[in-house]
Amino acid sequence: MTDTAVVHQTHDVPQPKQHGKPGGILRHTSIVTGTALGLVAAIVTYAIGSHFFVPWGTTNADASQVGLNALVAATYFAWVIFFMIGIGAFAGPIRWALGHDLTHDDAEYMAGKDQGKWRYWKYTTDHKVVGTQYLIMAMFLLGLGGLLAMLIRTELGITWAEVFDPNFYNSLIGTHGIVMIIALIIVVTGPFGNFILPIMIGARDMAFPRLNALSFWLLFAAIPPLASNLFLGGIRDGWTVYQPLASQAPIGMIGYQVTIIVFAFSTGVASVNLITTSVTMRARGMTWNRVPIFVIGVIASSVMGLVWFPMFQYSQMLALSDKVIATSFYNPIMGGSVWLYENLFWLLGHPEVYVVVIPGTAALMELMVVFLRKPLFSYKVAIAGFAGVVGISSIVWVHHMYMTGWAPSAGYPFMLSTELISIPFGFLVLVMLGTLWRGKPWTRLPMMCVYAVIWDKVVGGITGVYLSDVPVDQYMHGSMFVVAHFHYMLMGAGLFAAIGATAYWFPKMTGRMLDERLGSIGFWVAFFGFQLTFGSMFVAGLQGMPRRVLQFDNAFNISNWLSTVGAYTIGIGMLIFLYAVITSWRSGKPSGSNPWGGKTLEWQTETPVPLENFPVLPVVTSDPYGYGVPDPYDAVLEADKQPAGVA
Amino acid sequence: MSIDNPPTIEVDQPEEPTNRPAADHRLKEWLSRGYVRRIIALSIVIGLLIIPLAWVVIHFMNLSGAPASAIMVEIERTMFVFTVVSAPLMAITLAILFYSLTGWGRVTGEDPPMQESPAIRTNGTAVVLWIAATSILAGFLVIWGLVELATITSYANGSTPANQQPNGQKAIDINVTGQQWVWTFQYPDQGAVTSDTLIVPINVPLYFNVTSKDVVHDFWVVELGIKIDANPGAITNTGVTPDKLGTFNIRCAELCGLHHAYMQTKIQVVTQAEFDAWVREMGGKRTV
Ligand code: HEM
Ligand SMILES: [Cu+2]
Ligand SMILES: [Cu+2]
Repeated sequence: MTDTAVVHQTHDVPQPKQHGKPGGILRHTSIVTGTALGLVAAIVTYAIGSHFFVPWGTTNADASQVGLNALVAATYFAWVIFFMIGIGAFAGPIRWALGHDLTHDDAEYMAGKDQGKWRYWKYTTDHKVVGTQYLIMAMFLLGLGGLLAMLIRTELGITWAEVFDPNFYNSLIGTHGIVMIIALIIVVTGPFGNFILPIMIGARDMAFPRLNALSFWLLFAAIPPLASNLFLGGIRDGWTVYQPLASQAPIGMIGYQVTIIVFAFSTGVASVNLITTSVTMRARGMTWNRVPIFVIGVIASSVMGLVWFPMFQYSQMLALSDKVIATSFYNPIMGGSVWLYENLFWLLGHPEVYVVVIPGTAALMELMVVFLRKPLFSYKVAIAGFAGVVGISSIVWVHHMYMTGWAPSAGYPFMLSTELISIPFGFLVLVMLGTLWRGKPWTRLPMMCVYAVIWDKVVGGITGVYLSDVPVDQYMHGSMFVVAHFHYMLMGAGLFAAIGATAYWFPKMTGRMLDERLGSIGFWVAFFGFQLTFGSMFVAGLQGMPRRVLQFDNAFNISNWLSTVGAYTIGIGMLIFLYAVITSWRSGKPSGSNPWGGKTLEWQTETPVPLENFPVLPVVTSDPYGYGVPDPYDAVLEADKQPAGVA
Repeated sequence: MSIDNPPTIEVDQPEEPTNRPAADHRLKEWLSRGYVRRIIALSIVIGLLIIPLAWVVIHFMNLSGAPASAIMVEIERTMFVFTVVSAPLMAITLAILFYSLTGWGRVTGEDPPMQESPAIRTNGTAVVLWIAATSILAGFLVIWGLVELATITSYANGSTPANQQPNGQKAIDINVTGQQWVWTFQYPDQGAVTSDTLIVPINVPLYFNVTSKDVVHDFWVVELGIKIDANPGAITNTGVTPDKLGTFNIRCAELCGLHHAYMQTKIQVVTQAEFDAWVREMGGKRTV
């Protein structure tokens, strides 16, 4: 039996001496001190640095550009580092250096004991606080990205005029893309991996509670550099920011690079934490055959993030280095290679899709058994499916580079690996279909999301099969068809699964039911709007409309008009859903501790979940899928009767 | 609270009954179940609805005049075949999806349903069949794709569909240069004629040397089905033999900055005589 990372008072172990009040300096730090210190440091860095870095007035434009780039990068990093100092992220190491060990009271203070709502604004280690913070952050990012999507679609819907300046339009696309990517990476593992997973496995907290707070606040610190882009020229190069276009970009591009570098630390820390927690902190009796499938999904996704995110980080570190010290990793004129960038980028860029889709799928598997009152069909096939997807998706990235001319014969092996991934992906579909098979669904919103997501996966999967074929991709690459395809996977399968997971775990996180009627209206409006938006985008792609353009042939007008109407419909649906979330959170019907009748451990503890989750740590004796009655047909068969009149 | 004593269930499957009925009998019994029949019927209906999509897809691709080369013909054929062969699996999936909404009954209301569904933990036959079916499908797609890729590569190198052999005609080399935000075409064999629209003779292999002066662009000749990045500091190659007279679209398919949207031009496929006349007019020399 492993113990949790929260220190326990045991009478025979001498406690370390308490220095000052519990929490020490952390009593005074919060988002306010963090932001203040970060801003001051940024301003000071800029002011001082501009005397040293930038040879203002020099006649050599390149030299002054490099200096300016370095200055801006230093300013952003100063913000990040001093924000983290200001919020108290380094208090722990400093205390150890001073020889002050953490006492039980300190740990409880850091976990947010007796701090009311204010604990959400502090460097709080309680996994439930971190999970809630992630949920809010994901909703904020989705809102921002959604707003930008509306602007993109407005431009594309007004086919007879240029609404925005092309530079602004390009930065809308880039910012929308990267904001949504970040949002979708965190939207399931952030809130539910942190809030629910430890309870689900019967632990008192995550393995590394302080790292948990670190991962969230690093993410938080990474957002302002990204957002400030909009005022510093924007990310005009798509979320992929291909080189060498990105090196022509305005100064704001540095914000993108800083954000990715910091965000990669955040995901790395979070992944290590989730994996360690799931591996080492399971309740007694929770053998690997009894682990809820959601946990497996989170592990799979974290492993992928842990292994491949560094590639993205390196790609941006080298890009930043090209900018601030004039190296030439990506500058072909100086011996660099644009293909190097593309490879590094897609080494994460592809697995990223599965980082998004896997935890969402696993969450749906977890909830559908509850709404069908049936065991999960072929638990082991599900695990094999996740494992297969994780494995194969690491060796397919070149399918994004079929048309680069980098290595034409690489098309053969990478087409092979890409198409093989549909086999383990098929396992996951089988598990979901098998679970539906002969089940009587309880058609509440979380369950309906399962239906919606399977539909989207069918569409996204089939169109993905087209794209993985090199000859077809020779037509489709860089067209609106690709955009429609990946929205079916990212939004249709990823975001809608996250909505299902939110509706399902909402009662546990907030103690209230999500308004079923409003929530469902919002969801279905968004779902049908989604089909219209991206269904017609497929048509534009088939007709040959390139992506990332703001003007196009009249031939594409009709599909773009429809697509824009659909997008506004999504917007309306999402607003309704958001309204349902906010009102239910504040004044929804109290839910009790187990409103769905679930069997996983998170439903067996009280709501609101107490500070250390369980009064007594649970012992597990079976997997959580023990639903259902014996199959009546078996009896029929056994008696070898004629199966008359069965339906 | 039940956490000290969570509900226990048997994980193991019940023993197989020794007097198990024969397989064919079980299959017959299974096929006679009402829901099985209805799902099969539903699959057939959905499949029949999906297959026409294959034509719809091609229809949209052809709206602006495609296919104008053997390569584009192969691309469309692939789309067609992929749609048709994946239709059965798609149909079964969707049929189960739709049927499950109400077919086995459903529960509404506030409280968790009292009635439980059959405790089916797995089904070896279903798993094996599904894995076999998806593997066969994936295997087919892979093999088809590999063969097609080899085929269009040979077309790009000047072969013709008839015998898949080079047709003996000397390919016209064309140097394509992308530059923010225009395309320039230069014909080295024709005395370095330079143009910003692509004028080419029909049924003569073209061989493109593609590069860029600044950022990455992508040379996409839409109706001819070829596409290749234009990279600074490198020359990439592709080729095609246009086999249809007319004017088609060239679009940039890689975001290249401010006016990426406007980085388009036309390709005009003309007769050999017209081409020669155009070359002379441009001050170049006659093709050999
Ligand atoms: C309201 C729903 C949404 C609409 C209407 C929408 C629309 C669009 C449009 C029109 C583009 C530009 C396509 C182009 O010209 O290349 C785009 C790009 C993109 N979208 Fe969305 N989108 C939506 C939601 C999402 C979501 C939920 C994600 C989540 C991952 C997402 C991820 C992306 C990405 C990664 C890009 C690529 C950006 C790039 O080309 O660099 N979008 N979207
Ligand atoms: Cu990919
Ligand atoms: Cu372009």
